[in-house]
Amino acid sequence: MTELRAEARIALAIAHKDAIAELRGRHAMVSTLFFAAVVLLLFGFALGPDAARLAAAAPGLLWLAIVFAGILAVNRLHLLETDDDAFEQLALYPVARRAIYAGKALGGFAVMLLLGAVVLGAVGILFAVDIGSAWGPLLATVVLGAIGIAAVGTFYAGLTVRLRAREVMLPLLMLPVLAPLLLGAVKATAAALAGDPFGELGAWLQLLVAFDVIMVVAGAATYGYLLED
Amino acid sequence: MPQITIYVSPRSVGAPDTRPPAVATTDLARLFAGSPAVAGVSLRVEAGRTVALLGPNGAGKTTLLRVLATALRPSYGSASVDGLDVGRDTHLVRERVAYLSHATGLYDDLTARENLAFAAAMLSTPDPSARIDRALGDVELEARADDRVRDFSAGMRKRLALGRILLGRASLVLLDEPYAALDAEGMVLVDQLLAAWHAAGVTVMLASHTTDRLDALLDGRVTLARGLVAEVSGAGVTSMPPALPQRPRPVVATR
Repeated sequence: MTELRAEARIALAIAHKDAIAELRGRHAMVSTLFFAAVVLLLFGFALGPDAARLAAAAPGLLWLAIVFAGILAVNRLHLLETDDDAFEQLALYPVARRAIYAGKALGGFAVMLLLGAVVLGAVGILFAVDIGSAWGPLLATVVLGAIGIAAVGTFYAGLTVRLRAREVMLPLLMLPVLAPLLLGAVKATAAALAGDPFGELGAWLQLLVAFDVIMVVAGAATYGYLLED
Repeated sequence: MPQITIYVSPRSVGAPDTRPPAVATTDLARLFAGSPAVAGVSLRVEAGRTVALLGPNGAGKTTLLRVLATALRPSYGSASVDGLDVGRDTHLVRERVAYLSHATGLYDDLTARENLAFAAAMLSTPDPSARIDRALGDVELEARADDRVRDFSAGMRKRLALGRILLGRASLVLLDEPYAALDAEGMVLVDQLLAAWHAAGVTVMLASHTTDRLDALLDGRVTLARGLVAEVSGAGVTSMPPALPQRPRPVVATR
């Protein structure tokens, strides 16, 4: 128990450190949010001005924007560790490897949550979707999606942070793994927005919970190997 | 300058001859892309000694330090710290070792104090705020404590990285070119740190090209050349000739 508490303290210290660095480099966070907004706008242009069509496509566009911007966000949290080889210093501290993973994933989760909330609001405005009436299920979907993207992103960002081609490799590795999450989140969002006429919302949220549990456990178990020579 | 305080673990106190060797390697080799950077080093450093690793660029000094710091795994042979194998007991070794590499491992967007606070959390330093203040004073960075590291010079970064070591309770301190990038005052600071570690019974291994100023501070010297021990002198350090007659080759299955 005391061991778990010590690991939680380590994870919080890492997430706190990432939060400070992220907030100091505010321009980076703003540009990620701006990127998500631009993605939404471009999807809107591509689909044309038909309001009904845009509203029908909104759940898919929402999650594509969150996933694309999320890849940038988790990548940047690991780029912080490339400051003067801080990643090696982090690896050499005598702390549990899963605590390091938990700390990096926690920071990623916080960023993804903010990103999800902002993109959800933007979709509501841009595509004239009524998100107010279904805010409870939508919030649950965004939280579960944020956990999943942070869990997968933290692992793959740790894998690619030392690679020269990381900007290409990270989406290449992450996107196929995120496919089930994307499917579940889009379906859950669509069901929530439609008032869940077929009673399928619960099943999609369960899929997201299962995805999150598997990815968090797998990430915590394997991330340590990425830190070693 | 006030006295530098070195925190020691119970492991580091007591007569050196009652402690296991701080460093013991047996036929230690480390290859990069098939060519050895360290090619069969058998070295024993007694606890509490200050030992310099000397030798030209590419002699294997940094690689040897990185293996002992658990940043690299040995390709062949073994290495231990305080009797603990670096490959098998990695976590325990990390509790005992502090390593300063060429890179400082500091976060640019954090202040000096925040960087030390993070390190204190990772090292589970007791009473962290007092220890951080003390470490900042020891490395003479109090005046810049709340400035971001991004604006620091290379020498100030090195001072801060040395301050980070003072937060832990390492029984073995590994320093790679500690004098590099430092001004005259900074070099004196490193001298004082070396003396303080020595007085506290902490073992220090440092790679350096600046040998003349080290004379009074060193117990022993190890000279490396092309990944092998070329010469050992002074007290507290011994070497065995390599058991491998030639450069180690990976075992390749043949049909």
